[in-house]
Amino acid sequence: MKRSEALIEIDNIHKSFGDFEVLKGISLSVNEGEAVCIIGPSGSGKSTVLRCINGLLPIDEGFIRVGNHRVHELRSEKEMRPLRHQVSMVFQQYNLFPHKTALENIMMAPIQVLGHERAEVEDRARKLLEKVRLGNKADSYPGMLSGGQQQRVAIARALAMQPEVILFDEVTAALDPETVKEVLLTIRELVDDGLTCILVTHEMKFAREVADRVCFTDRGLIVENAPPADLFDNPQDPRTREFLGQVL
Amino acid sequence: MFGLDYSWLADPAYQNWLVTGVINTLELAALSSSVAILIGMLGALGLSLRVFWLDALIEFFVEVFRNTPPLLQMLFAYFTLSTLGLKTTDPVTGLEVPLLSAFACACISLSLFGGALAIEAFRSGLETMPKAITEAGRSLGYSRWARFWRIEVPIASRVCLPSLTNILTNLFKTTSQASVITVPELMYYAGQIYNDTFRTLEVMILILIIYVVLVSILSYGMSRLEAYLTLPGYGKGQ
Repeated sequence: MKRSEALIEIDNIHKSFGDFEVLKGISLSVNEGEAVCIIGPSGSGKSTVLRCINGLLPIDEGFIRVGNHRVHELRSEKEMRPLRHQVSMVFQQYNLFPHKTALENIMMAPIQVLGHERAEVEDRARKLLEKVRLGNKADSYPGMLSGGQQQRVAIARALAMQPEVILFDEVTAALDPETVKEVLLTIRELVDDGLTCILVTHEMKFAREVADRVCFTDRGLIVENAPPADLFDNPQDPRTREFLGQVL
Repeated sequence: MFGLDYSWLADPAYQNWLVTGVINTLELAALSSSVAILIGMLGALGLSLRVFWLDALIEFFVEVFRNTPPLLQMLFAYFTLSTLGLKTTDPVTGLEVPLLSAFACACISLSLFGGALAIEAFRSGLETMPKAITEAGRSLGYSRWARFWRIEVPIASRVCLPSLTNILTNLFKTTSQASVITVPELMYYAGQIYNDTFRTLEVMILILIIYVVLVSILSYGMSRLEAYLTLPGYGKGQ
């Protein structure tokens, strides 16, 4: 079943959209409790990797394992369900359900999908809102919250599924600079708690501070994969150097 | 006043007809509206599944019922459903009667007519669904069916509520055509009364007022519903 002891194992995955090959053989393994940041230019396939890990996008070729789930072999939404329980995702545009309050957004899936008991879920949801410092916003609708607040509700919603892994897809890219900080603070606490995180991000400073490892992707490949101090201070590949030269 | 004679309104028989007519009109409208909304939701769900033959089937249904006069549909339902062998023998008289009453035929035909329009309304609502919402639902483990009922329908129905109001008010008015196939609703009794009293203008004025009041109540109710369902921070709630 498992090829290695890693929690997440990705081996040589390929994915095309029409004629355009987005992923040209990506391999990556992530250990339990590790925080891995994926950086790289737009269109290099960063978000696509995340979507393949939790099965939102089927891959054309390759091997993906998360825990005991061989993701590339799961075909139906029903087969995916145990995986969804184990892997949560937070999106760039928050993607909260606009017809539900913050508290209801967090409670919906644990009750409706996982079948957990309502009272217990509400208790869990309120604690999570406290954790993301939005305890007073339980009854607010997403439309009444700022971008940063919505994103923290989205993080609480992901945590309410009690996942082992959270995938963060450019979660600060749509935020005002002053609200970026509060979201990053929340994520940092999760990493410190030992939750396994994979983050696609443009926040280089944050990646450097929080990540155990940083992957640089370019044109569908992981060009360089190293601890942040090595990757940022001593990049080996010319493409990494060029990219870092532009963004730092 | 203006030479109008409403003395016939004092007759309990006519009062009774009017009340019965209003009740039957309300029943017909309520039943066919509910079924039409259900057809609309299921049809739109069917279209969203993107199955080739199902798409073709639903499109065909919509084209047929949207592009033909509802009166024709009603007559068609009334005469074909009874000649297609859907008959039963009345236990009291021993006569052969259609299995489906005129009321049932009117209800079926109005439901299909309204349903065809509602499919288009719900479809347009579902098509405005941001891909992000669908993706969030999937990533939280919702099945296609659960996503539809718990996430997409609540959001889409808010979007298409104004056009649904139009469809329902139109459907309400179209119930008057059921008088042609002898359904004893308001329009039918109006005819009975002026045939009896020859007070055509007076009866028509009264019926007109009754329809205005009933349809106004419906559209007021729908606008209240719209206000109630408005999401803070979206559309009118901004």
